[in-house]
Amino acid sequence: MPLDSFAPASAPRLPRRGLERLDLLLLSAEALDLNGGEAMVWMSEQMGFTNLFPNRVELWKRRCTNPLRRNTRREGLEPAETDALIRILCALADRLYPLVRGLLSSAEPSEVLSERWNLFRSRLADLVRQRMNLRRGGVQLLLDPESGARQSRLLIQALALGAGVGGFERLRASLLDAQP
Amino acid sequence: MKQVLQFDQLSCRLKVEGLPDVSVGQSGQNLGIITGWSLAWAGRPELEGRKEHLLALMQVVLPYARYLISGVPRRFGADPEPVEIGPGPEGGHGLLLRSSQPDTPPLQLNLDDAELADLVRVLDQLRLDSRLQLPLELPEPIPLMGRELPERRPLAQRLAAPLAGLLAVVVASGLGLLLPEPKPGLEPAQRPAAAQPAKGASTSPSRP
Repeated sequence: MPLDSFAPASAPRLPRRGLERLDLLLLSAEALDLNGGEAMVWMSEQMGFTNLFPNRVELWKRRCTNPLRRNTRREGLEPAETDALIRILCALADRLYPLVRGLLSSAEPSEVLSERWNLFRSRLADLVRQRMNLRRGGVQLLLDPESGARQSRLLIQALALGAGVGGFERLRASLLDAQP
Repeated sequence: MKQVLQFDQLSCRLKVEGLPDVSVGQSGQNLGIITGWSLAWAGRPELEGRKEHLLALMQVVLPYARYLISGVPRRFGADPEPVEIGPGPEGGHGLLLRSSQPDTPPLQLNLDDAELADLVRVLDQLRLDSRLQLPLELPEPIPLMGRELPERRPLAQRLAAPLAGLLAVVVASGLGLLLPEPKPGLEPAQRPAAAQPAKGASTSPSRP
C-alpha cells in the first residue's frame, strides 16, 4: 500500500466515537477470523506501515486509544495512524468478505444463518469481555442480547460496505461522523 | 478497438463497453467513451443502459452505502431521477429503476444486505479502475452531522455535564464567599503576637 496515501497533517483527527468504532470493527474482524490478530500484524507489514507500527506492541498500543478499553491510553492518534488502521481494516474486511457476505445473505437457510450469527456474537462477546471495560455503558450495550445483536449487525454491515480499496474513503468518512 | 470492463461478484456482474477516446490521446487499453453497460443479477432481469443511467446508478447507490455504513438508511433519488434507492418496507433495500421509455413501468428490485454490498463493490471496482479514463461526477464521502445521526443524544442529556460543572463552580464560589475575611489593619507579623498573652500578665512567679 502506498505510503503517500497517508493523511496530511491538517487532516481531522478521529473523534472519540470514531476511535471506539474503529477498534470495535477491528475486534469484529478478529471475531470472524481466529488468527485475526496475527493477520493484522502481517497486513500492516505487507502494506508498508512498519514505520508507524514497528511491531505488534505498537499496533496494540494504538488500538488501546479506544476509550472503552479496559486499559485505555489517553493520547490521541495522528491522522496518519488512523488512516493506516482504516486501510488495514479495509484489507482485512476484503479478505474476510466471503464470511461477511455469508452473514448478510438472506439466500442462506435460516438455521445456517442463525448458527453463523451465534458463533460470531459469542466470539465477539468473548473478546469484548477480555479487553473492554465492562463498567462502560457502551460495552454493556454490546453485551446486551437485544441491542448487542443490532450492534453486531451494524458492525458486519460496515465491514461489508467498507471492504477493499473502494471502502476506505467511505469508512473513513463514517468514522469522522459528528458525535451524536 | 472496443473495450469491455467486467467486474464480478457472487450475485452480480457488471459489464461496461466502450472505446478509448483517441481525440485526447488515449491508448487502446483505456476506456474514455462508454457505449453501453449491463448489470446481470442472479435470478433477476438484466439491467442495461447508457452512460447516463450508469452514472445515475452510481450517484444514488454509493451515497446510500455511505449513509448506511453510519447506520443511517436514507432514501436517494427523487421521482424524476432514473434510479432511486431506499430502505425496503420489509427490510432489505429497494432499488427502483425508471425507464426513459414511455409506457414502461418502473422496475423494482429488492436487494438484501449481501446483494447491496456486491453491487457497491462492483461500482467501486469500476470507478477505481485505472482503465476507465472518464471523469465521474460522484459526490465525495463526507462525515455526517450530528442531526443526521439516529442515535443522537437528547439536548438535556448533552447539556447535563456542562451545567453540572457550572453549578459546581458557582457552589464552590459561594462557599468561598462565606469564609470570614481577615480583620483589616493588622499586620501579618502582629497576628501571632496578638494571640499570645500580654507581657504583664505572665503567670510565672516574679522575682523579688
